[in-house]
Amino acid sequence: MKLLNKLTLYHTLSKTVIVILFTALLPLLVREIASRYTNTALQEQKNKVLQTIDKNGIDYYFQGDSSYGSYTMLKEEYISLDAAPAGFPADTIETTQRIVDKDTLTYRILSHVFEYNHKKYLLEIGKTLAAIDQYNAPLQRVALYALAGLILATLLIDLFFTRLLLRPLGIIIRTKLLNRKFPFKDSHPPVKTTTTDFRYLDDSIIDLMNKITAAFDKEREFTSNASHELMTPISILQNKMENLMDAMPQEEAQEKIMGMMQTLNRLKKIVRSLLLISRIENDQFVRQDSVQAYSLVEEVRAELEDRIEAGCISIEINVSRSVTLHSLNRDLLFQLLYNLINNAIRYNKKEGSIRIYDNAETTEPYILTIEDTGIGIDKADLPFIFNRFKKGSSTTTEGFGIGLSIVKSIAQYHGIELQLVSEKGLGTTCSIVFPAQITSMSPSLPA
Amino acid sequence: MKVLIVEDERPMALEMEAFLKKAFYICDLAFSARQANELLDNNPYNFILLDLGLPDKDGLVVLKEAKLKCPDASYIILTARGDLEDRIKGLDLGADDYLPKPFSLLELQSRMAAISRRKSGLAGSLVQLGDFSIDLNQRLVFFGKTSIELSKKEFDLLSYLLLHKNRPLTRLQLSEHIWGSFSDDDYDSNYIDVHIKNIRKKLTVHAPADWLQTIRGIGYKIKS
Repeated sequence: MKLLNKLTLYHTLSKTVIVILFTALLPLLVREIASRYTNTALQEQKNKVLQTIDKNGIDYYFQGDSSYGSYTMLKEEYISLDAAPAGFPADTIETTQRIVDKDTLTYRILSHVFEYNHKKYLLEIGKTLAAIDQYNAPLQRVALYALAGLILATLLIDLFFTRLLLRPLGIIIRTKLLNRKFPFKDSHPPVKTTTTDFRYLDDSIIDLMNKITAAFDKEREFTSNASHELMTPISILQNKMENLMDAMPQEEAQEKIMGMMQTLNRLKKIVRSLLLISRIENDQFVRQDSVQAYSLVEEVRAELEDRIEAGCISIEINVSRSVTLHSLNRDLLFQLLYNLINNAIRYNKKEGSIRIYDNAETTEPYILTIEDTGIGIDKADLPFIFNRFKKGSSTTTEGFGIGLSIVKSIAQYHGIELQLVSEKGLGTTCSIVFPAQITSMSPSLPA
Repeated sequence: MKVLIVEDERPMALEMEAFLKKAFYICDLAFSARQANELLDNNPYNFILLDLGLPDKDGLVVLKEAKLKCPDASYIILTARGDLEDRIKGLDLGADDYLPKPFSLLELQSRMAAISRRKSGLAGSLVQLGDFSIDLNQRLVFFGKTSIELSKKEFDLLSYLLLHKNRPLTRLQLSEHIWGSFSDDDYDSNYIDVHIKNIRKKLTVHAPADWLQTIRGIGYKIKS
């Protein structure tokens, strides 16, 4: 998940939790506040009554009676003054029911016992719960609305600000990390940001890329120069051997010279291959050709006919004639197919078979597959098969493993993906996946 | 035939000279553009073999100047650079052929022979081999009046052996000629043998072709 999404999720979740908690706690809170406020109000009223008694005497209330009681019109509040029953606790505030004028109502009641003229009296001041709680619901509602509004506002501000903050990171990822193809030829300017972390990250990435590119350039230059420098002595040696072969017609000498020439030729092939790879990596090939997939495969097959015949291999080609590949180098693509099909022949069993087919009938991308019934590749060797000079540990056939690394360079140069599946002893399947932008299907031609 | 070899690598120039002398070419050597210019001022040549990597001048400039002094000669460019661009420029400037280093001397001679054939037209391109006649220009093989169908590679092999007749050619040399840089590294394989077998099969239907000999352990040769 992207950091921005994570942060957004976090903000939303944390705020939802706050809203839920607040909603759950609000009734309790409001009730608590209302009850406290009521308690205080009741105390104040009690004090007022006591002050009045102090000032005017208890008869001010009793008016000759032995008790006093009064309630408001809707029985929301009442007050009563009476002689205290023995053993009644001195001061309490509790919620309980009272019958007032035939109505049973729930009151919050303050009971206070006091002495006046050596007699104990009980003062009760009560307020109905309905009166106490009458503002709770609207209060809660208003509080919730206010909270929801505030939360929404902060959430929007959070989102906007995180987006703003993280934008440089997004730019760094988009321009410097995603879809970068090695070698890095396109350079991007440093990302504008005041966040030092991002500044550091961006600078480090630019620095690393430059170092990699420099190292790669150096290697490329070295390969190219070394190959050129090696070509001349190889040339001289080859020509000397050819002249020597003429000068020494004895059979034994001829065989020895031939052996030398074969070794030299191997060296020549390696140097030539390295040079080819370095040229590909140096961008020295134009990618402007269009080729029909079928005719190219056929051409390669014809070129390899003798090998197929020598190995008694049956080959089946099932490639659509309506597929044309664009913006590529024909010679390089030929070489790619040549090397792959040649391997399918070389590492095949006697009287084995090769199947070459595509997926033109089905969906994109266009995939050309070469399937053989050869010796297969060890699972352990599969990851290294395209590496320069790496030869499968189990392979006994002569080879210096550069053919496939040429294939890899050519594929990379054209954005082609290669997929190898192999089962030891059963064969190898190589799929060449062409990028959509270089493939086109013409309305199917008569086969 | 007079040949001017312009090549700054002395050992290389000397090997070329030694080889071409045996094929009855008369050779002059130039190790720099300056020497080449001096020789071109005073001598006519049929062939100019030009290395593009000369120390004192760009090879393509040398080619342009030489063309002015010796317009009738055939030019073959030799280079270790092997860049496609060089090759196109060289051929644009009027070179007849292009050989990337390292090359086989047999290949050089065969290219020179091909250019000569091309320039001289049809005359003398019909070669007799036993009961067969081979037309190198039309790329045809005849038994009497009957034409024998050979594939492109089969004909290439036959004509290469014919050009270097009486000289044993190794499988390596033959495969390098027909596959060029595509030639493979596994020479114990018998791809060349397959072609030779096919050539023999097609010829012996008409008459024995014992002039096409197998040299055990080496390769093949045409004896005449």
